[in-house]
Amino acid sequence: MLKGSRREAMGLALVTPSFLFLLVFFIVPAALLFVCSFWLAHSFRLIPAFSFDNYSRALSASGFYVLTWNALKNGLCTAAFTVALSFPTAYFIVYRTRGNLLFYLILVSWFSSYLVRIYAWRVILGSNGLINTTLMQLGLIDHPIEVLLFSPFATILTLIHIMLPFGLLLLVSALRDVRREYIEAARDLGASPFEVLTRVMLPMCYKGIIGAFMFTFVISAGDFVTPQLLGGREGMTTGILIANQFRSSGNWPFGAAMAFLLLAAFLLVYFVFVRLLHLLRLAPGRRFHD
Amino acid sequence: MTASNIVELYGVTKAFGALTVLHDIDLNIVEGEILTLLGPSGCGKTTLMRIIAGFEPTTHGRVIIKGADVSNLPPDRRPVNMVFQRYALFPHLDVFDNVAFGLRLKKWPKDRIREVVRNMLQLVQLGDYGNRWIHELSGGQAQRVALARALVNSPSVLLLDEPLAALDLKIRHHMLAELKRIHQETGTTFIYVTHDQDEATILSDRIVLMNGGRIEQIGTPEEMYAHPRSLFCARFLGETNILDGAVRACESEVTYVDLGTGTVKVPTNGTALAVGQKVSLAIRPEALQVCRRAQPAATEGDANALEGTVEDVVFMGSRVLYSIRTPVETLKYQATRSVDGVMLAQGEEVRACWRPEAAVLLTH
Repeated sequence: MLKGSRREAMGLALVTPSFLFLLVFFIVPAALLFVCSFWLAHSFRLIPAFSFDNYSRALSASGFYVLTWNALKNGLCTAAFTVALSFPTAYFIVYRTRGNLLFYLILVSWFSSYLVRIYAWRVILGSNGLINTTLMQLGLIDHPIEVLLFSPFATILTLIHIMLPFGLLLLVSALRDVRREYIEAARDLGASPFEVLTRVMLPMCYKGIIGAFMFTFVISAGDFVTPQLLGGREGMTTGILIANQFRSSGNWPFGAAMAFLLLAAFLLVYFVFVRLLHLLRLAPGRRFHD
Repeated sequence: MTASNIVELYGVTKAFGALTVLHDIDLNIVEGEILTLLGPSGCGKTTLMRIIAGFEPTTHGRVIIKGADVSNLPPDRRPVNMVFQRYALFPHLDVFDNVAFGLRLKKWPKDRIREVVRNMLQLVQLGDYGNRWIHELSGGQAQRVALARALVNSPSVLLLDEPLAALDLKIRHHMLAELKRIHQETGTTFIYVTHDQDEATILSDRIVLMNGGRIEQIGTPEEMYAHPRSLFCARFLGETNILDGAVRACESEVTYVDLGTGTVKVPTNGTALAVGQKVSLAIRPEALQVCRRAQPAATEGDANALEGTVEDVVFMGSRVLYSIRTPVETLKYQATRSVDGVMLAQGEEVRACWRPEAAVLLTH
């Protein structure tokens, strides 16, 4: 009895610091922001109210949809490619290598700053960049390919580069739980290598895949620096719209409302993604056998 | 090919780099039998089983199952199924779906899968456990599910890789009886890997004793126990007394062995031995007859004898284990508890006798 209550006290002591941190610096501010999204702003002054004006204003502006679509497109493409590229690499690291050298080498790309990597891609993709210069000197093209830089392609390529180590980290730790004997058991029971993947490995990595997808999705869809620097005409995302409300326009309630609309869009993506995994039978669960 | 051989191994050799773990193994497994691959860890028994299952390719040699050469087939295309040491039950599926896994891959109709899986769960006495998750099972229950998941595919051969190693002693004995019952009810051929000689003797029709990547001896548990052909076999299966000596004379029926303190007689083991050759005698603890030295010698005039002192007495209930120090070796002697309660006491002067045929002559 004493032992049980001591264990509980211990558990509480371990959880409390991080919970308090999140409470004070995330949950409370987010709640305040949510309340604020129903307020009104008038010439840089906040007026407490309960109004849906900010929401309807955002939802009736076509620009909001265009920019949100840009954000979601960046996020979805980055997340999908990151997971698709990370999984084979994670497989290789978990089952085909001893030690973690390769893993650490991939994590090394984190040692350089985010902005440095964005500028590095500008150097590579630009009109006078590495790719265009090489192609022109080889005589394959006469004029630089302009769409390499300042396009969604450049944005997504860079975001994948930034996100890949995150995806890999999550998928490697998920795959480590799929011990080799599960794979052998499935083969033994008649599964082809592809069936091992779809019926054992992916369902057993379900949480890791959701984690890797959503993590990379939320960060890339919410990012407004990379698209701004590399995305060209389509480089505007909802993030910059929201930032502007807080920075220059001073319309906090409107910014808050758009932030929560974006959050709603993210949640929708989450539920659709989870549903999709279930429909594809890549999720754990019963198969209605009774 | 003999009709009754379900698995045939010819010259199976396995090397991992420079290390050869199996040397030229020839082995036939008879349909319907329980064959145990027994040996200390590192003897190659698990590798041999994994070669039969298809998880390891052979370096040389052929694996024939039901008359077909499967040496180059992957595990999913061999008619064998395996029970893994740690069960490897899929944690993302419940008990029913684990058992149904193989049948679903074969695209069986749903109704048939439901019926067959239910029957199989009944067979392993887990009829009501279909909806349980794997983490909700005890060790013994997980073991049964692993068994059901393999057997439901009606394999030609069921491979069991130390299946009881993770269970505690009491459940282990119960599961041994269960395995025997399930073997009888299904008639499936079992190949059972273990390092535990008790499991092997209780369960097996035949034991394959392995050592250092080679087969030491094949036989029924009784044969192996009564007629070990090597010192390794004599030592590995059950308790035994080993007495070292040299051949004094070798006749067609009887060999005389000088133990240093005197000469004893032992049946000749088939080969003629040179005088002076170093040999060992293996005598099981229960084959000795021990009496107080003051008493007249044992009835058989032919008996071999060593004189000694009772050094230690361990009362085990139905049995009593004695250690008897003799000039040659400290002998282990096992007696059944006598009903009149007479036991030898520590320090008593005794004479240990055995009939010539109770000992086995082993060359080095």
